[in-house]
Amino acid sequence: MSDEYENKSGYQAQSSETLTGSAGSTPDIDYVRPAELPEQDLYHGHTFITKWVFCQDAKVIGVQYFLTAVFTGIVGLILSWLMRLQLGFPGLAGFITAEHYYQFVTMHGMIMVVYFLTALFLGGFGNYLIPLMVGARDMVFPYVNMLSFWMFFVAVAVLMASFFVPGGPTGAGWTLYPPQTILEGTPGSGMGILLMLVSLALFVIGFTMGGLNYMITVLQARTRGMTLMRMPLTVWGIFTATVLAMLAFPALLVSAIMMTLDKVIGTSFFMPTILKAGEVLEYGGGSPILFQHLFWFFGHPEVYIVALPAFGIVSDLISVHARKNIFGYRMMVWAIVGIGALSFFVWAHHMYVSGMNPWFGFFFATTTLIIAVPTAMKVYNWILTLWRGNIRINTVMLWCLGFIVTFVNGGITGIFLGNVSVDVPLSDTYFVVAHFHMVMGIAPVMVIMGAVYHWFPLITGRLLNETLGKWHFWATFLGAYSIYFPMHYLGFIGVPRRYYEMYDSPYMTSAVGMNEFISLAAFLVGAAQFILIFNIIKTLKTGKPAPKNPWKANSLEWHTSTQPPEHGNFGERLPVVHRWPYDFSVPGAKDDFIPQTTPPSEVVHTKVEKT
Amino acid sequence: MSDPKIDGFELKPGFRGMASDTGSDQTMFKGVHWGKAMMWIFLLSDTFVFSCFLIAYMKGRGSTPVEWPNPSEVFALEAFGVPVPLLLIALMTFVLITSSGTMALAVKYGYEKNRKMCGWLVLATAIGGLTFVGMQAYEWSKLIHEGVRPWENPFGAAQFGSFFFMITGFHGTHVSIGVIFLFIYAYKVFAGHYENGGKRGWFTTMKGDYVEIEILGLYWHFVDLVWVFIFAFFYLW
Amino acid sequence: MHAGIIFFLVILGSILFHIFTPWYWTDIASNWKGMDDTITLTFWVGGGVFVAVCLFMIYCVFKYSYKEDRKAEYKPEDKKLEKILTVATTLGVAALLAPGLIIWNQYVNVPKNSIEIDVMAWQWGWQYRLPGNDGKLGTTKVVNINDDNPFGINLDDPYGRDDVMVQSDIINLENNRPVKILLRSVDVLHNWYVPQFRAKMDAVPGVVTYYWFEPNKVGEYEVLCAEYCGVGHYAMRGGVEVQDPNSYQQWLGEQETFSDLLAKQNKEIETKKVAKNNSKIEKVIYKEEK
Ligand code: HEA
Ligand code: HEA
Ligand code: CUA
Ligand SMILES: [Cu+2]
Repeated sequence: MSDEYENKSGYQAQSSETLTGSAGSTPDIDYVRPAELPEQDLYHGHTFITKWVFCQDAKVIGVQYFLTAVFTGIVGLILSWLMRLQLGFPGLAGFITAEHYYQFVTMHGMIMVVYFLTALFLGGFGNYLIPLMVGARDMVFPYVNMLSFWMFFVAVAVLMASFFVPGGPTGAGWTLYPPQTILEGTPGSGMGILLMLVSLALFVIGFTMGGLNYMITVLQARTRGMTLMRMPLTVWGIFTATVLAMLAFPALLVSAIMMTLDKVIGTSFFMPTILKAGEVLEYGGGSPILFQHLFWFFGHPEVYIVALPAFGIVSDLISVHARKNIFGYRMMVWAIVGIGALSFFVWAHHMYVSGMNPWFGFFFATTTLIIAVPTAMKVYNWILTLWRGNIRINTVMLWCLGFIVTFVNGGITGIFLGNVSVDVPLSDTYFVVAHFHMVMGIAPVMVIMGAVYHWFPLITGRLLNETLGKWHFWATFLGAYSIYFPMHYLGFIGVPRRYYEMYDSPYMTSAVGMNEFISLAAFLVGAAQFILIFNIIKTLKTGKPAPKNPWKANSLEWHTSTQPPEHGNFGERLPVVHRWPYDFSVPGAKDDFIPQTTPPSEVVHTKVEKT
Repeated sequence: MSDPKIDGFELKPGFRGMASDTGSDQTMFKGVHWGKAMMWIFLLSDTFVFSCFLIAYMKGRGSTPVEWPNPSEVFALEAFGVPVPLLLIALMTFVLITSSGTMALAVKYGYEKNRKMCGWLVLATAIGGLTFVGMQAYEWSKLIHEGVRPWENPFGAAQFGSFFFMITGFHGTHVSIGVIFLFIYAYKVFAGHYENGGKRGWFTTMKGDYVEIEILGLYWHFVDLVWVFIFAFFYLW
Repeated sequence: MHAGIIFFLVILGSILFHIFTPWYWTDIASNWKGMDDTITLTFWVGGGVFVAVCLFMIYCVFKYSYKEDRKAEYKPEDKKLEKILTVATTLGVAALLAPGLIIWNQYVNVPKNSIEIDVMAWQWGWQYRLPGNDGKLGTTKVVNINDDNPFGINLDDPYGRDDVMVQSDIINLENNRPVKILLRSVDVLHNWYVPQFRAKMDAVPGVVTYYWFEPNKVGEYEVLCAEYCGVGHYAMRGGVEVQDPNSYQQWLGEQETFSDLLAKQNKEIETKKVAKNNSKIEKVIYKEEK
């Protein structure tokens, strides 16, 4: 085996010149400290299995994560269709019983939040982009990284298996509130919930392995000249989200363990005395609210875990395609970090009406609304980046604009809910459903789509078709907006969420038409995703090859030795970074972009403000 | 550990030093091995796991209406015919703390490239850990024998048994994993995997280095520290 | 260009939808007008910000879309502008938060003259208990619940004897009289919610939670369960009838009290059961007190 480690690619050690700083020929302004660490030693697989299956290259792992996550996303999408079928046209599909409906809702929610978005952003984009963007050869622990994906894969397999066990998957709602979760009367309270808990635990373990990689790569393996404040915001977003995940997932793990014990061996951590069908159950003395605290201590950071990478990525996309530096980079970084930190102090805003001590309401309402301030700064900076820019209105930019509209809309409805006494009438109604789909179900999905169109040429070397892309965008944006904008009004009239069927009450019957409309829009939006899939397949077969760095971007991933980048990313020598990634349209410069690797001596005549 | 020398970069102590490390390129923690940084962050995450367990325990204990059993009676051990409160626990704690000591020494000898001493000390640590696990198994069986179960407890609140078995079980799993790795590492030290620039070991296919002993040591000390907290929460409260 | 126009139409459509929507909240029938007002305020502020942000974005799309010969402005930072925006947003948020907290303060402080109502939830139904002439509800325990004692009232609690029991999912309330809803559940989480009253709170097994409101419109309303509680969640409905004081008193007089119920049953059997139940209580860990 040992021959595989031989110095085949020729970059096992940097030449002494790069190790000790730039040679005398270049002027002093180009000086960058010599490398602190020797080159990372990498494992180059040779067989099909080591190259594509148990692969240790972060880029391949990223794609594996991406594909697995998209698969779960499509399952989640199909489930949402089934739900909408029932809600819009009750009784039309006779096989959707109440049990099935609740199983669909639960699996839809859990899959979309955890297995789709979290895995896609951190596992998919994180793996692919972090090493490239910070100028590393790979993640710092490639082997652990590989294990991380396979752990995730097993978690997904276990999750999917729960569809086929007796009793079906759990139907407890994605929040899994006990005592109902593990009692009869809830679908899937036998094997279903057990597999769900096991799958979550596996996910957490797998994620921890990946997360350690992302964090250490960002902290300890940047290339020469790459300071923290020169990292693209994408890296900042994913990095901060990873920190959140490392600190929030423990609460999920603990609650999953405790609930498993309640279920399997009959402890009563979350179970008070319960009377069912005239019989007092064996449980007693536990606290259901404790679970809610643990769950939301995980759950609220979790929603920012999916939001922060989206914030980061969208900043980069906007900046590149508006040909303008991101406005207020420092503020953006501090906002990401601030939102991340604050998100650990707001969890009980999901519990205003849960029966916890009502005095907590004052504290959590205040912290929740404080979070709006850094978030608002990010929104302002995005639109101020557009301002006086030179905006390419291409598919990528359209997704970014769609993101801004939907995110601001969803964020504002978040303000309604955060303001404790406003939450009282709206909590547990469709207003909440509309809020979180706006802000989580479509805004980050828009960013994912934009990112796919943006980085597709990097990953495959081909440009996606723009016309199809525009059709895809408009169908998705208009469709999704018309699903969720009217849905808020269902919440106003008081329709509770998780209702299998709702037309008994006079004021609810008035919304039948709206529900049908929403369902139709949902079918349309789901179908529109096939445009993307078609586009991808078509492009892979016949698409036109992308020129190198097709968007004229500055960050390192576009300045690799080959495109798509090979294992080891940067060929013989690691790049040396001299500036932030946002030097677009610098006065006096020849092109409207200056890559991060361009040394100052080459652009002395320009008015670069930061380096 | 020893202060590393980094070309073109001056390490400054204190807050300013921290700020300049943060503001610099390449690494945030100057001279810190990747694996070590990883272990620190993993331990931070693990701290959250144990904190959640202990907070749940406090909440559970605080809110059950049934009386909580008196720890010094439940955990007493007969020695020479007299029940001595907390005897076994004291022994367990002693063994674990001692193994922390041997671990620290192993790290020291590792950096001195003293293969023999290092190996023996790692082995000693492993045996200490194994003893601890053994004593814990004994304590569990004693309690089970007396009728304590995760779902019921003849001495009082059922939650006592639940939390006790869950938290000590989770900690015991940590110790057991540590013991397994200690044995593997002891073997690797003796086999010389960490000598002379390092050999490709099994498992991670990475080159070995004595720093790995220190990384394992961090984990081991952490497991110890957690035990101190569990000790305080279960046996002294 | 097209993009800008379509985005503009989306924003315009949203505004028009809001103005002309036939779906808006049901007429309020309680004292929580303040909640509606805060929502309206949030709507104006938030909606204003939403429209402003989007219009600015659309303006940029029109004004600055790509031209070969134009160069974007190069300006990494504008400290002053950022400061102004931060301060303005903070003020806006504070302006929204203040009324919210004031109303929450009213929400958690129950007026002294309110009647307590014990709302008991189970999968999947409701029943209600009112204090009798002594004005106090008797204490309860889940394990006491059986056919003869549907609320699980502690038999040795003197306050419990005259409690009025409404073993139906419909409850009557007196108009303009504050009620304190005490919620409990015998199995899983539920939530007693009447959209017209605006207020809600979860019923959590093992503890008693509460909230209050003052009905101020005579009429019949539907009660919904607003916390997921298993397959029957959507069907777990109940009713409220708000009446003027006279009809209310009349209705109240017709209801059965706990002692009526006990009297109906054979006394001796009853006492045996008490003894049996009491010994059972000791074994089971349970705390259910206000
Ligand atoms: C990506 C995910 C995501 C994000 C980013 C957010 C963001 C926010 N969320 Fe949301 N939320 C969810 C996902 C998310 N949420 C989910 C999944 C649930 C439901 C879970 C369940 O029960 O199943 C939920 C539920 C939820 C609740 C509980 C509702 C209930 O169950 O009763 C609350 C209450 O406080 C809340 C509040 C907020 C707030 C204040 C923000 C803020 O961060 C928003 C900040 C942004 C802005 C405010 C917009 C930009 C700002 C400006 C343009 C400036 C000007 C604004 C003003 C001056 C007002 N959310
Ligand atoms: C990220 C999260 C996410 C996403 C994307 C969605 C997407 C959708 N959701 Fe979901 N939903 C949740 C998270 C999400 N949802 C959660 C957490 C709940 C709560 C569960 C609970 O109560 O327990 C919920 C509940 C929920 C309900 C409420 C059920 C109830 O309370 O009774 C409804 C009802 O209409 C609904 C509908 C939809 C629809 C129509 C879509 C979509 O069809 C809308 C359009 C979506 C897209 C356009 C994106 C699809 C893209 C892909 C799947 C990937 C394809 C990608 C590539 C090929 C690269 N959802
Ligand atoms: Cu009871 Cu929902
Ligand atoms: Cu939240």
